[in-house]
Amino acid sequence: MTRARTLSPSARDILAIMAEAGEGWSHGYDLCRRAGIKSGTLYPLLMRLEALGHLEAEWQPPAEAGRPPRHAYRLTASGRELARDNPPAITAQAATLKRSRA
Amino acid sequence: MTRMFLFALAVVALTVAAWLLPKSRRHWAAAMRAELAEAESGRAAAGFAFGCLSAAAGEAMRFNILEPLARAGKGSRLMPLIADLPIRPRFLAMVAALIATGLGLAYLAMAGAPARLMAVNALALLIGFAGLALALAAARAARVSAGVVSLALGAALLATSLFGLSVEGASRWVALAGFVLQPSLIFVPLLLVYCARGRDDLSIAGVMLAVVAMALQPDRAMAGVMLAALAVLAAHRRDARTLAALTLAALGFAWTLMQADQLPAMPYVDKIVYSSFGVHPLAGLAVAAGLTWMLVPAVVGRLADPAHGEAYLVFGAVWLAVIAAAMLGNYPTPLVGYGASAIIGYAVSLIGLPARRAHAAEREGSAAAASDTPETSLRVLAAG
Repeated sequence: MTRARTLSPSARDILAIMAEAGEGWSHGYDLCRRAGIKSGTLYPLLMRLEALGHLEAEWQPPAEAGRPPRHAYRLTASGRELARDNPPAITAQAATLKRSRA
Repeated sequence: MTRMFLFALAVVALTVAAWLLPKSRRHWAAAMRAELAEAESGRAAAGFAFGCLSAAAGEAMRFNILEPLARAGKGSRLMPLIADLPIRPRFLAMVAALIATGLGLAYLAMAGAPARLMAVNALALLIGFAGLALALAAARAARVSAGVVSLALGAALLATSLFGLSVEGASRWVALAGFVLQPSLIFVPLLLVYCARGRDDLSIAGVMLAVVAMALQPDRAMAGVMLAALAVLAAHRRDARTLAALTLAALGFAWTLMQADQLPAMPYVDKIVYSSFGVHPLAGLAVAAGLTWMLVPAVVGRLADPAHGEAYLVFGAVWLAVIAAAMLGNYPTPLVGYGASAIIGYAVSLIGLPARRAHAAEREGSAAAASDTPETSLRVLAAG
């Protein structure tokens, strides 16, 4: 039996960013910058999301001449559901701040 | 200039990453490579590429070691467990090289070694893997016989002993692009492991040439390495030409014992097995674990792939003898100490190990199919 696991903060952040993009496509380098994570964390996540059917990927022609085609990603319906069920974790510091302002 | 160098380094790192990734994941390497054009600086490109390299190494470790172990772990005895592993011997040795060099970097950092030394070791691993890839590609394309390669390597070692850099009466080094390399640490392991895969006269002639070169340099450590490896080979083969090479190696080693060997120990290079524990217990453990990892491919390969037994035995004998020499005298400690030659030599010597164990193809297919179960994928998502 597969045990339910809590997703890591990085996975939640990536899911949130891609869910926000909706039907739009995202790229690896931009995702690293926006989520503030290393490529060594991002790519294993993308690979698993794709293997589980939460992510679709396609090669897109270069936006300008001289650049290589890029691999682009967006969430599938199940990916968007996963993102909804796993919103970004609130850090302890942010939670304290939120409580003090409440 | 620095920007170009960093971009070139990034491309090399992504090339190694592509090589490390399992076939079913290879298209991700192209995806990573395409993103490199978006990096705004050389530093950002190198950071991105090395992150990708670590991701690829993680995938490779998961695909080739952790998951097979987890699957086989259901068995209760060690032998059946190892025998059933879908191991790719050369790949396992590459992972061992990566881990041992990484543990060496950890030791060097704890010992307070200059960053330049660590950078050289890391770069040497990349060069070693690139050299291995080139050698494999050249072997496939040109079909040069093992004997010709052995003879060329033996001649190169002889040239080093005659024309190489000399320190305290020992001629073991050559200067290349600002670095001082010890060709015997690069060529001797390759020569011996290559020799274990072939039985022709030229291969043995190349080995004999190398024996003479080690005696002339003189290099007691590498002469001992040749003696140990040829003893293992002769015990298996017991043919006249291997026994002749063994006799010559014994004479060569005896000759080096009679020569003065007065080179002092170099910091971060020699005698670090003992000194590392004085730095910090963790530094000592990193060194010990790194040296152990170097021998794992030989042990696992020998148990899991008896059909290529000689290659694993010679590989193990070579590196065990290099480690023993480093523990006994002032000789470089391979992979975990500072020194590009041993790292390149270890990586390049992997050409002598089989890419696949005998009758492993069908096992590999089933492993690929089993590697992306929802359960294993969820584990990585949770850890990411």
